[in-house]
Amino acid sequence: MTLASDMRPDAPVPTPVAGARDRRGSWIPTGAMIVTRFMELRKRRGLMITLVGVTIGIPTIFLVIRLLLHAFDPHTYGPAGGYDIFNHLVVVVLYVFGFIVAATLGCTAGSVDLTDGMFRHLVVTGRSRLALYLARIPAGLAIIGPLVAIGFTIVCGVSVFAAPTTLNYRGVNVPAGLSLPALENYAANHADQIVCGFPYNGPIPIAVPCPNGPFGGGPIIKGSAESGTPTQPTPATIKAQAIQIAQQDYADYSRFFLSPSTSLMIKTGLWLELEALIGFTVGLGLGALLGQRTVAVIMMIVLEIILTPILSRAHIPHFINLQRAVVGLATAHLEPAGLSVRIFGGDGPPAAKAASILVPETTFVAVCVIIAWLVGWTILGAWRMATRDA
Amino acid sequence: MSALVVDDADDSAVASRWAVETHGLTKRFGDNVAVGGVELLVPRGCAFGYLGPNGAGKTTLIRVLLGLTHADAGTMSLLGYAVPKHRDVALARVGAIVDEPRFHGHLTGRQNLQILAAAREPAARERIGPALERVGMAHRADDRVAKYSMGMRQRLGVAACLLGDPQLLILDEPMNGLDPAGMHEMRDMILSLVAEGRTVVLSSHLLDEVERTCDAVAIVDQGRIIRQGPILELLAGASLDLQVECSQPDQARALIERTNIGAQVEVGPTGLDLTLPAGTAREVIAEINRVLVESGIRVYRLQPIQASLESWFLQVTSRLGDTQ
Repeated sequence: MTLASDMRPDAPVPTPVAGARDRRGSWIPTGAMIVTRFMELRKRRGLMITLVGVTIGIPTIFLVIRLLLHAFDPHTYGPAGGYDIFNHLVVVVLYVFGFIVAATLGCTAGSVDLTDGMFRHLVVTGRSRLALYLARIPAGLAIIGPLVAIGFTIVCGVSVFAAPTTLNYRGVNVPAGLSLPALENYAANHADQIVCGFPYNGPIPIAVPCPNGPFGGGPIIKGSAESGTPTQPTPATIKAQAIQIAQQDYADYSRFFLSPSTSLMIKTGLWLELEALIGFTVGLGLGALLGQRTVAVIMMIVLEIILTPILSRAHIPHFINLQRAVVGLATAHLEPAGLSVRIFGGDGPPAAKAASILVPETTFVAVCVIIAWLVGWTILGAWRMATRDA
Repeated sequence: MSALVVDDADDSAVASRWAVETHGLTKRFGDNVAVGGVELLVPRGCAFGYLGPNGAGKTTLIRVLLGLTHADAGTMSLLGYAVPKHRDVALARVGAIVDEPRFHGHLTGRQNLQILAAAREPAARERIGPALERVGMAHRADDRVAKYSMGMRQRLGVAACLLGDPQLLILDEPMNGLDPAGMHEMRDMILSLVAEGRTVVLSSHLLDEVERTCDAVAIVDQGRIIRQGPILELLAGASLDLQVECSQPDQARALIERTNIGAQVEVGPTGLDLTLPAGTAREVIAEINRVLVESGIRVYRLQPIQASLESWFLQVTSRLGDTQ
């Protein structure tokens, strides 16, 4: 038997040359790694179509249809833009779907090297596995960040430039930006309109005939006479009632604008980007942890669509602190106050009232929860990547 | 060659004459010992075959060497650098294909190489074009990998190996999926890489290809290396087959069995098939001829059959099976 020690190589030994630094063991990814990772994600046609379709396509199509309808039939269809449209598109489309597509991108970035068989090629280069993982974060954010920004910019543009000329408050056209005395004055001059159209929390002691019921139905009688027998109210009593209603609704009315303010748009944009950052980072960690995309994406959708709304609204005894650790609740608490539509809180009620629907949480705790999710999932994903058999 | 920093590595790395060196390397999967105390020495600057039946632990050893999975015991070094301690420095000059080469199917071959080059030193990006040229993939480099055949993916895998200007290439079944012409080209390429002073470790089931390509081999079975060394030396230790075409084969058999040659003799349709012990000298063949002729047996043909790696491999592995 020939022993290994019997083998005597004669080939010269190449001597490594000292000089330029090869930081292959460093955990910091190089610019080239980030750029090529960005290219790898960007070239995924199906994924990119989905991302663009959801973040830009859906709001754009919705707004284009509204613009066309308003252009052809302005009496039936209201303006395409405005504060209300801005609110609904931000909360219903960009926030929820933005999170889901960001999570999908993250799950893809976290798992495709494994599923495509590239992971072992990359490991064999000797490059730090942590650097391989971290390169995906800026690459993915460089995709989802601008997409969310573009979609949001389109919404902002239409909301501002195609805003209505009169404010529609709860179905009633009123001037925008009135002070309390001005609104009282307006209510006095348009008493029937205010009594019939404005919401009022309390009994209306007079019976006022209104031309249209809810949803454009036939004439109704709003309110009732205290004596139980309907009597014809005098103009003075209707005017007094209208002023009273205007006073009660002023706080809510003052939150409605023709178009969103610049500060609200900036805050909302940052809030949406934060949501996308969270979705991507958590998805990346989960994808790397599971090593495959489909289950990870489904779990993220379940978290966003089912678990978070339930855990954010249901006050479950003994589990309240656990509920506070839900990242969706934390981001809901960071929702800009100027938005009239509240995450998980429904449409319409004032911000303070809507916030009370959510499990209570301070801003500090909400920020801590978000940081913990970002850091925690990054550590989990990186750990799995560093310890996984390639 | 690009500069390589060795500031944290052992000084012994430069002095080492082994491209791969393992001592007591062990890898277990539960109760199953996939790699059991392997002592492997691969000389620099040669083509080294790593042979073994299915499930012998060939790929597992390669995966351990490359840091794709961890070892349970033992020490190892690549190009003189202890791994995993100096894994990054060692792998900087190693290229490897493990199992079937797979890539991002939605990207072109060139783009896949760009991703891999980005994980290496900056100079690796300049090697993409030459590497594609060398493996004969330049004309398809801008096609999506999803459209590649298995053989083309193998070539792309080799191109990926070349990005790091490797001193050591570890190729796991590189002939898989290649047509005869492709196998010929791959063989030539391996030989040319060795001629450049690189070390190529070739894991393959194709013993004929290994014999044509490699200078030395190791045979692994059930996680242990049972033989290793230069092919010529190993084959010299194999038994020698001798075909004798003659008249009166039964009488010839009896005559040979009465000698002290120690040959196993079987009577075939055209004569005798002799198996001579390992190390039998050429003079023994002349002695057999003399014995037969002097006994009045006419000898028409007397032909030694050169032992092949395949026959030797089967002898070795069957012996192992016998002892167990």
